[in-house]
Amino acid sequence: MNSSKLLQLAIPLVKSHGFTREALAQSVLHLPKPHREPLPDLSVTALFGRGDDARRTLVNAWLEDARFRMKEDTSGSTSMRRVLHSRLKLNEPVLAHLPEAFALLSTSSSVLPVDPLPLLKHTALVADQACWIIEPHAQEMSWYTRRASISAMYLAAELHQLTSPNTAESFLDYLLQNSGAAEKAVQEVALFGFYTFKSWKGIAKSSGVL
Amino acid sequence: MLPQLFQCARRPHRQCIVPRLLRNTHDGATPASSKSSGRTTSFGFQTVPEESKESLVKGVFDNVASKYDVMNDASSFGVHRLWKDTFVSTLKPGRKGPMRCIDVAGGTGDIALRILDHAREEYADRETTVEIVDINAQMLGEGFKRFKKTMYHNTPQVSFHEANAQELPMSLFKDNTYDLYTIAFGIRNCTSIPAVLEEAYRVLKPGATFACLEFSKVNNPLMSRLYDQYSFSVIPLMGTILAGDRESYQYLVESIRKFPSQPEFAQMIKDAGFATGAPHDGGAWTDLWGGIACIHTGVKV
Repeated sequence: MNSSKLLQLAIPLVKSHGFTREALAQSVLHLPKPHREPLPDLSVTALFGRGDDARRTLVNAWLEDARFRMKEDTSGSTSMRRVLHSRLKLNEPVLAHLPEAFALLSTSSSVLPVDPLPLLKHTALVADQACWIIEPHAQEMSWYTRRASISAMYLAAELHQLTSPNTAESFLDYLLQNSGAAEKAVQEVALFGFYTFKSWKGIAKSSGVL
Repeated sequence: MLPQLFQCARRPHRQCIVPRLLRNTHDGATPASSKSSGRTTSFGFQTVPEESKESLVKGVFDNVASKYDVMNDASSFGVHRLWKDTFVSTLKPGRKGPMRCIDVAGGTGDIALRILDHAREEYADRETTVEIVDINAQMLGEGFKRFKKTMYHNTPQVSFHEANAQELPMSLFKDNTYDLYTIAFGIRNCTSIPAVLEEAYRVLKPGATFACLEFSKVNNPLMSRLYDQYSFSVIPLMGTILAGDRESYQYLVESIRKFPSQPEFAQMIKDAGFATGAPHDGGAWTDLWGGIACIHTGVKV
């Protein structure tokens, strides 16, 4: 048996136990042939990692499960708004434990005291999955910029949800409505920058520097 | 090389007055008398009938028992102590209450002593027990002698049993009994690794941990070359000088090379019914010193 099966059993326990080693230990009580006692701490270490690494394993498993459920709930949908709303809704049962989960992810690096990369990776994966749900066969020039903008919007909405869960949906709607304007603004800045670069290059060539 | 080893196997035992030794010797077939089943296994780089591996390995360990610890220190420059310290400190015995541990192929008591010391020093636990099991009486004798110098001698915390890891007697080692099963640098000497793993699965309680410390494959090519050079040139030479026995140490070095790689052994542990971590370094196994030694863990679920 893989430890992934026990992780699957631990995910529903996050609501009551949080992202803790206790949730992982209790997972064996929900096997088809349940154990009489939770797993000892040594076994949790052997299967999932030492100390907070086991908790990070659980956090990553929960995030992956949430992406999967987002896909299941909204497959065939063409509305980015609906897809991202469904993902935010999945956060609601475990909202109280999420700040600690993100803190665990951010402190995973052995070099940096605070590492933003795991959190950015989480939002990037959500954005990628959402774009895939809307258009599975998309071939677009703006592949990365679209994902980057959705990822940033989702991150903002999720952080908003942690402090103000009731207004999170309307905040996300506001961001999505204005995203078109933001994307155009970025493109226009990029175009202007390109023109400026070409003109300076032309000046440099005509003055004999290049 | 083989005839010389048979001679070693027939050398009479030294009288080992060890009151706690419970003799449950498996009737290992000698090469001369067994009906060969045709199945073969590796004995170092040689291929031998399966029935004879046990007695050949017995011969090796009869020879090396008295100088085992000295040779370990010399050939690994004392690093084996670090590996064993890491192994036991990873397991943290005694952290959540007394544990019933079984240390298999643990003849000289290195791991057992570390387990008991760790439980006592870190967690003030004097109820954790370790049962040391080894097929070789000489090695058990050395372990018994070592424990006589400690505070655990004549206490229920340690006991010594002569038994075969592939067939632990059911009367002594009942199903679902132990909280921790350890085997350090011993499993590669067993004829059938799956049989050892099945026995480990049988005697462990549900939720308990199997932990194995063993030499393994070095993945870095440069380090692997250096390690091979050192193993095949220096270690048998040390065996000749320090212990007067080149062949036994040649076998020990060859048996390391024949042991399965980390992913293969992790799969064998899973096939025996254990749940393991993900199949990479840091998951189902942890490499020490680039893979020279490796700690594999599994949980009985």
